[in-house]
Parts: sequence; C-alpha cells; structure tokens
Amino acid sequence: MASFRYALRDTFRLIFRHWGLSILTLITAVALFFLLGSSGLFSLNLKSLVADVEDDLVINVFMKAGEDASSLVEAMQDVGFITDLKVISPEKGLELLRAKLGNQAKAVTLLGENPLPWNVQIQVMKADFVTPLVRDLMSFPSVEEVVYAGQLAEKLAQASLVMNRVSIAVLILAITITALVLYNTVKIAIYSKRGEIEVMLLVGATNTSIALPFVLQGMLLSTFGALISVILLAGAYQYVSVMLETTLSFLILIADRLLLMRFYLILIGTGMTLGWLCSWFAVHRYIAEASCPE
Amino acid sequence: MDIRMAGVTKIFEPDIVALEDIYLNLDRGEFVYLVGATGSGKTTLLRIITREVIPSRGQIVVARRNLRSLRASQLPYYRRELGVVFQDYKLLPHLSVLENVAFVLETIGAPSRVVKDRASTVIDQVGLWRLRDHYPQQLSGGEQQRVAIARAMVNSPSIFLADEPTGNLDLHTSEEIMQLLLSINAAGTTVIVATHDQYLVDAYRQRVVELHQGRIKRDEERGRYFVDGEL
Ligand SMILES: Nc1ncnc2c1ncn2[C@@H]1O[C@H](COP(=O)(O)OP(=O)(O)O)[C@@H](O)[C@H]1O
Ligand SMILES: [Mg+2]
Repeated sequence: MASFRYALRDTFRLIFRHWGLSILTLITAVALFFLLGSSGLFSLNLKSLVADVEDDLVINVFMKAGEDASSLVEAMQDVGFITDLKVISPEKGLELLRAKLGNQAKAVTLLGENPLPWNVQIQVMKADFVTPLVRDLMSFPSVEEVVYAGQLAEKLAQASLVMNRVSIAVLILAITITALVLYNTVKIAIYSKRGEIEVMLLVGATNTSIALPFVLQGMLLSTFGALISVILLAGAYQYVSVMLETTLSFLILIADRLLLMRFYLILIGTGMTLGWLCSWFAVHRYIAEASCPE
Repeated sequence: MDIRMAGVTKIFEPDIVALEDIYLNLDRGEFVYLVGATGSGKTTLLRIITREVIPSRGQIVVARRNLRSLRASQLPYYRRELGVVFQDYKLLPHLSVLENVAFVLETIGAPSRVVKDRASTVIDQVGLWRLRDHYPQQLSGGEQQRVAIARAMVNSPSIFLADEPTGNLDLHTSEEIMQLLLSINAAGTTVIVATHDQYLVDAYRQRVVELHQGRIKRDEERGRYFVDGEL
C-alpha cells in the first residue's frame, strides 16, 4: 500500500509540475467530451422522437373544401382495426385552434371565412395498419389530404440516420484527438522523469510501480475532463429543455433521469478508460524500450 | 559461489568485441578489483552482472540466478539484491541527499517509516548526515560519490558493484571511499570494484582481475599482482 501512496503523491507532483500542460489537457478533454456528449444527446433525442412519432397511430384526414365527412365515416364504419374515429367540423376545428394559439388565433379568421376543412382523426390498433388504410383513404374522391405520422417518421428516421453517422464521426474524431493529447501529455511527463525511471529500473522497481504515477496522471486528467464536461452538459441540457418547452412546446427532450444518468456515467467511464489506455500505452512503450538489455 | 561466468563474450553491434571468453568465479563475501585500461571491458562486465547487457555467448549465474534465462518479471527482484555505484553516479539533481537515498526504498515499496530510518542510518554511515538536505550540485565529487554509495547500500545488497568509484577524486578522498567499500565487504557483502587507480590496487592488497582488450589477462590473489604488476 505504501507503493500506492508514493504513486499517488508522484501523480499529483507530475500534474502540478506541468500545470500549464495539465490545464491545457484538461480543457481539451472537457471540450471534446462536451462535443461528444452533445452529439450523443442529440442522436438520442432524435431517436426517441422517431420512436414517439412511429408510435403515433392517428391518421388525420382532411376533406376537400365543400365536402363533409359523412360518406367517409360511413365507409369506415365496419373496418375492424379502427379503435377510434373523431370527426372535427370546421367550426370545432377553429375553436380548438383558438384555444391552442390564444391571441394569435385572430389571424386565422382575418380572412373572414372559416378556412378550415372537415377533418377526421382515425386511430388504428397497430402501426402495421397505417399504410394500407392510408392507401384506401387516398383513393376516396372527397379526401383532399391524408396526414399521418409515418411520413414524418420516415423523414425523421432519415435525419436520425444521418445524425447517427455524424455522431459516430464526432465520436471517432473526439476520441482520437483526446487520445493523442493525453498520450502526448503523459509522454512529456515521462520524458521529464527519464532520469528517475532509469534509476528506478536499475534499483529494482517493477514496471508496474514505475508506470503507476503516469497511468494515474492520464486517468485523472481524462476522468476529470469528462466529469467537468458532464456537469456542463447536464446544465446546458437542462437549459435547452426549458427553452424548448416554452418556445416549441411540441418538442420535448428526453427527461428520463435514469437514461440521462446512464449516458453521463458512460461518458465519464469513457474518459476513465481512454485516460487509462493512453497513458498505459505511452508508459509501457517507454519502459519496454528503456528496460531492454543490450 | 556467488558469481560464476563461463565463456562470457559480448560483441556490440556491429563487431566491437567488448568481452571475450571470460571465466570468472567469485565466492560470497569476496573483494575483487577489476582493473584494466579504459576500453578494456570493465564497465561491460559489471553491466553484464546487473543485466543491463546480455552476453552474446557464454553463461552467467549470479546469486543462483541464470541471467540468460532470467524472466523479465524476475529482473526487478534480482536487481534488489545488487547495490551499484555507477561511473556517472546517476544522482537525481532535484532530490536532496536524503531523498536520493530514500528514493530507492520508496521505489521498491518500503513503508515510509522504514524508508526514513534506513536512509538516515546509511547517510550517517557514509558521513553525510549534516549534508542530508543538500542537493547533489552543492556537493563535492567525493561527497557525491558517498551519496551514490549510500544509495547502493540502502537496500542491504548481497553483491556490491562500484564502477571507478575513485575516478576523479584526490588521494585522501579516494582512501576514504576505499575504507567505506572495505567496511561494506567486512559486513559480508561481495564487492567488485572496477578501477584504473594503480595506487589503490597496490595499497589494499586484494584479489585483482585484470582485463586487457576484453580478455582476462590475469587473475591473482592478494599481493602477488603487486609483484609483477605492469599497469
Ligand atoms: N553500448 C555499447 N555499444 C557499443 N560499444 C560499446 C558499448 N559499451 C561499451 N562498448 C565498447 O566496448 C569496449 C569496452 O568498453 P567498457 O566496458 O566501457 O570499458 P571500460 O569500462 O573498461 O573503459 C569499448 O571498446 C567500448 O567502446
Ligand atoms: Mg568504464
């Protein structure tokens, strides 16, 4: 245990001896983990949005101007998988719109006449029924337009796919840069201590005890960087959530605390692992070379 | 037998023959001078014992360990049985005398109380107690040499190697250093001192092994070397 205490002491000496470098490494790690985290959160939210939309089993049918919904409702009467069917008259629609928009609703009636068509909202049992039903509805002569979540879901899914690729690119980039910076920092620390390392090897220090302070140094910087970035990220996420809620009320970010917590923990774990790998790699490469007999 | 070399040859890349066909046996507790001109292979022979250098040919067994087949994981534990005074001291400039010595014990994981006690004892033994908080560059050559010796002694080695420990020192200081090495030997430690200091070899009649261009030119017991010496 004495060894570990010495190693820990030496780790802090290393970090403070090269404090400028340590701060620079820390800032880099924070920035890159923040980037990594935000792209991950964005992906996660997009995916959850796609899932939400896909789960939306309501089909909105808008009738042509001047046509009412009675014939459609009649035709839908004996379709088994429809669980709910709501007819919204133009007057009712206007009422709902007013309630939703408040004062801004005046603009809608500025034209004088009620511009809204008849609207039928059909809910089906399962997402599988949506597409065939939509095809049927489209063939109705009195139907102007069918709006259903599937369209949106497809578009969102495409966006999500693109975003996933971007996320992966960000992941690779951020990890590579962080790894290089960490590797370099640890290497500089190693070189500043090569006299010690030489003597340590000659007086019988084990490779592990020589490596430990450097490995801890890399791990500490990286983990701390990830930790700070998570704190910043959580704050920013909270801020954006509240902002979206007040301005774009339909866009609700994931608020699942457990999921977010897990995401942040993974980020910190990534920081820890990355720090460990980079410094371990740097120091073992050096020791292997330095301890190789002639 | 503490050290046993049989047919040890070292050829450095591309074709520098540093040692050739060395047969050398040392008993536990022996004191041996390793003499020879610069470039004769003294340092290489010591570095073969510390296993910084692996022989190109031949066998070497030290403290019952075959150094050719010693596993890398065992090397640190083997080195803890050695005390080495390097030709260039290898003191750490930013550590004080006490820290330089304590460093060795910390490095092998000794508890901090032991580290402090033992390092203090050894520093006192080499007569540097009042300089314990000084840094190497504040010390004279002889004092630095003592620090190096204290550091080599601190983990109570069974084999003590000193490479030109009196290299740049005046006569008086050299004698003091030699007394120190003899006292280490008197405690039962095997000691090998590489030197080209003729005076010391003559003054302290011990076993002398002379190297010449990488070969053992003579290996003689106490005093006889003095008679037909021709260094
Ligand atoms: N690492 C090395 N690489 C190449 N040649 C070396 C190396 N070490 C020593 N030599 C050569 O081996 C010979 C013996 O050197 P050394 O053992 O240092 O002699 P000494 O210590 O007696 O002066 C010299 O010719 C020297 O140049
Ligand atoms: Mg030499």
